[in-house]
Amino acid sequence: MAEETNQGVWGLVIDLNLCTGCNACVTACAMENNIPWVGEEDAGYGRSMSWINMQRYWEGEYPEVSPSYQPVMCQQCGRAPCEPVCPVFATVHSESEQINLQVYNRCIGTRYCANNCPYMARKFNWFDYAYNIPEPMNYYLNPSVTVRRRGVMEKCTFCVQRIHDGQENARAQGRAVIDGEIMTACQQACPADAIIFGDMTDPESQVSQALRSQRKYVLLEELGTQPKVTYLKGEGYYGG
Amino acid sequence: MATSVVHMALFKEEQLDEAAEAIQVLRNLGISDKDISVISGTPFSEKMLGRPMAWTSIPLIGGAGAVVGFLVSVFLNFGTPLLYPIQVGGMGLQTIPTSIVLTFELTMLGLLISTFIGVLVETISPSYGPRGYDARVTDGQIAVLFSSGAELDASLHDALSHLGAEIVHGAEDKKLWP
Amino acid sequence: MAAEVKPIPNAIPSPHAAEEEDLREHLMFDPRPREEMNRMVMDSMTHTTPRYWIVVGILAVLTAVLLYGVWGYMIFTGIGISGERRPNYWGIFIVSLVFWIGISHAGTFVSAILRVFKAEFRRPFTRAAELMTTFGLAAGALWPLIHLGRVWVFYWMIPYPNARWLWPNFRSPLVWDFMAITTYLLSSTIYLYLPLLPDLAMARDRTKGWRHVVYKFLALGWRGTEAEWFRLRKAINIFAIAIIPVMFSVHTIVSWDFAVAQTGGWNSTIFGPYFIIGAILSGVSAVVTILIILRATLKNMDYFIRLEHIDALGKLLLVFSMAWAYFFFNDYMVSWYGGSEVVRTILTFHASGPSAWIWYVMLLCNVAIPWLTLWSKKLRRTPWLMLIVTLGINVGMYFERYTIIPITLGHQRMPFDWGEYTPRLPEISLALGSLCLFMLLYMLASRFIPMVPVWEVREGQEAHQLRKVGKTVVPSVSELE
Repeated sequence: MAEETNQGVWGLVIDLNLCTGCNACVTACAMENNIPWVGEEDAGYGRSMSWINMQRYWEGEYPEVSPSYQPVMCQQCGRAPCEPVCPVFATVHSESEQINLQVYNRCIGTRYCANNCPYMARKFNWFDYAYNIPEPMNYYLNPSVTVRRRGVMEKCTFCVQRIHDGQENARAQGRAVIDGEIMTACQQACPADAIIFGDMTDPESQVSQALRSQRKYVLLEELGTQPKVTYLKGEGYYGG
Repeated sequence: MATSVVHMALFKEEQLDEAAEAIQVLRNLGISDKDISVISGTPFSEKMLGRPMAWTSIPLIGGAGAVVGFLVSVFLNFGTPLLYPIQVGGMGLQTIPTSIVLTFELTMLGLLISTFIGVLVETISPSYGPRGYDARVTDGQIAVLFSSGAELDASLHDALSHLGAEIVHGAEDKKLWP
Repeated sequence: MAAEVKPIPNAIPSPHAAEEEDLREHLMFDPRPREEMNRMVMDSMTHTTPRYWIVVGILAVLTAVLLYGVWGYMIFTGIGISGERRPNYWGIFIVSLVFWIGISHAGTFVSAILRVFKAEFRRPFTRAAELMTTFGLAAGALWPLIHLGRVWVFYWMIPYPNARWLWPNFRSPLVWDFMAITTYLLSSTIYLYLPLLPDLAMARDRTKGWRHVVYKFLALGWRGTEAEWFRLRKAINIFAIAIIPVMFSVHTIVSWDFAVAQTGGWNSTIFGPYFIIGAILSGVSAVVTILIILRATLKNMDYFIRLEHIDALGKLLLVFSMAWAYFFFNDYMVSWYGGSEVVRTILTFHASGPSAWIWYVMLLCNVAIPWLTLWSKKLRRTPWLMLIVTLGINVGMYFERYTIIPITLGHQRMPFDWGEYTPRLPEISLALGSLCLFMLLYMLASRFIPMVPVWEVREGQEAHQLRKVGKTVVPSVSELE
């Protein structure tokens, strides 16, 4: 096994003041990470596979209601509750990226990790969804990402394939990774630039600057999971 | 002992006192305890029959199995994480609280399995003493088996019949296990 | 007044006759010759009616279709044919796992704990209870496999050296579970087998044909020598004492599947003993259910299994029902009082959500009905009533696990992801199929294994005698061991 060295701590900041709840991130994520659609019936039943849950809460009494949106994906916990409960080490902590990995080939589908995830960020392949994609459509599948079969758990990876891609490019050109060079699919697609991604160990990176905001908070901080996703509190300017 | 024949004295279920008495009679006739064995359908302890205590190494075998189980659990708990180190949930590679569970289970598994293996080995390994069997034993009868020379036949017969035993001369050893 | 005292004529000849006659209702004071008991047990084993074969046939078909057929279909299509979904990732599969593992506890409880504490009433039905343990585990051990998304690689949970030197995660409660269930299954099967040796020898001496061959092999050449009895007693004592902590550990570990998670409503330190008590409650109920059915259907069983046994187990049930209520209240009260918002929401939801009826049925079956009926000696000695009460307790215990698993999972910390779970037909079919499997195995075994440990009953009858105390006789038990 190659020696794993720490190559930055990747973090994601989502500014809820800018988020409009447009779901572009959800779509981009699905295209990037080979997330299959599950059909109307299963999606309605609560089996959609998208790695980002666009949580929408209504505030106020009808008809004076306003929505608030919060995209929730895997929070890449530093002390992830999902990891130690897996019997076969199918979800592990990555030393080099400081994120939480899901090893699809190792997963046997006990679904324990999903129960123990307080963010409900994990999705399960109830059927062979990805194998049922009709003929020309399967050309959209991204060759850099594994296509998952039935019975396997999956979740947001912080687009780990893009992180590696960026690092390899930089190494080939003999330079360090430039801040903003590596973008997650959701970040790239966000029309409001509400999602910021980068190395949290670099004090000048956009992520680090955003993290100095007074509005920052992490979800369910009291559980001590040490998430790598930080939210900037929204003030309800948007929407209805 | 080439000339000796195995005899069997069968006593009814309720004749335990007579059976114990018969063993004493045989002893008085000069037949040693190792040439006598008792088979019964219900457990009677050696004390009831006035016989030397039996001996078994089952607890020893069981204990040895427990030690093996314990050592295996130590390897699994503390050895395997070093073979392929994987970090999970911010825990250390070797965690003592979680290891206790597996240690307990495997120690018990070792103890119980090897106790059974002990029974198995001791049951099918050859035993000493006179052999012989009668199906009436599982009906609760008590059979006293003994081997003696032909010169004692007459006195034996008298003494044992007097106690109410049914005597089978030259009891056969059936092959009870393949 | 003294002038009005009249002697009762019947009492004069033998003042003890009435008492002795009363004691005859106890198996231990109603001895029959060993030969006759052997014949009765052999008869019960070899006697089959057409009705028996019809039931066995139906159960075999149901097991094949409902359990293996549907399971096979699910393996090929995916877990999605069940009603599970986000956030109820665990449903009927895990509920049934906990249920069957719980059922399997009573065999060991009845057989080992009552043996260690020398409770004499255990003697005739230890075998029936141990069989229940083994088959309960056989049905229960299927569920973790049925539950797996990719069952064809289940062996990755087994620690074995492989090319990558990758071992299972020994910090996962599921691996503990796997090891604990394996340990328990093996040891309880051996614990069933050891006291069976003298009875197999008895069966060997009384059968011909294929039965003789099989019994001869299984009896390991048992003759009944002093050394054999001594070894057997030694081994049974080791087992009876060692299997008790194993039994406690198994259900504790099952409870830790939930308790070690930080999931709201699961993370509770009392889950271990709470689950153990629940398991014993449901298991002892199942023993009573089975004894009543055996007594009614298996030939000659009414001699061995008597109302006194159902009565004694009924008292135990009352105690365990109270203990269960104590633990339930403890868990509920403490979590609700000091609990976080998420736990409080869950507890409120249990009692007032759309599936609240499950919660109330649980309390009705586990607490209200046993407490109202089991006080009365008369009711405890009414078999049909006990059948209803004990079946009810098992329904209640199934619902308890249902409340703890899918209902609790549906209301976690993210209100946006709350959800409810309704089992779908395939799951219900699998659950019924495992029940059919259990009944099928038990019915087949009842015609193959001597259901009564004759030598233990005999030993007990020898240990019991009547002792005259003043003007009456009292039972007295001597320790033969």
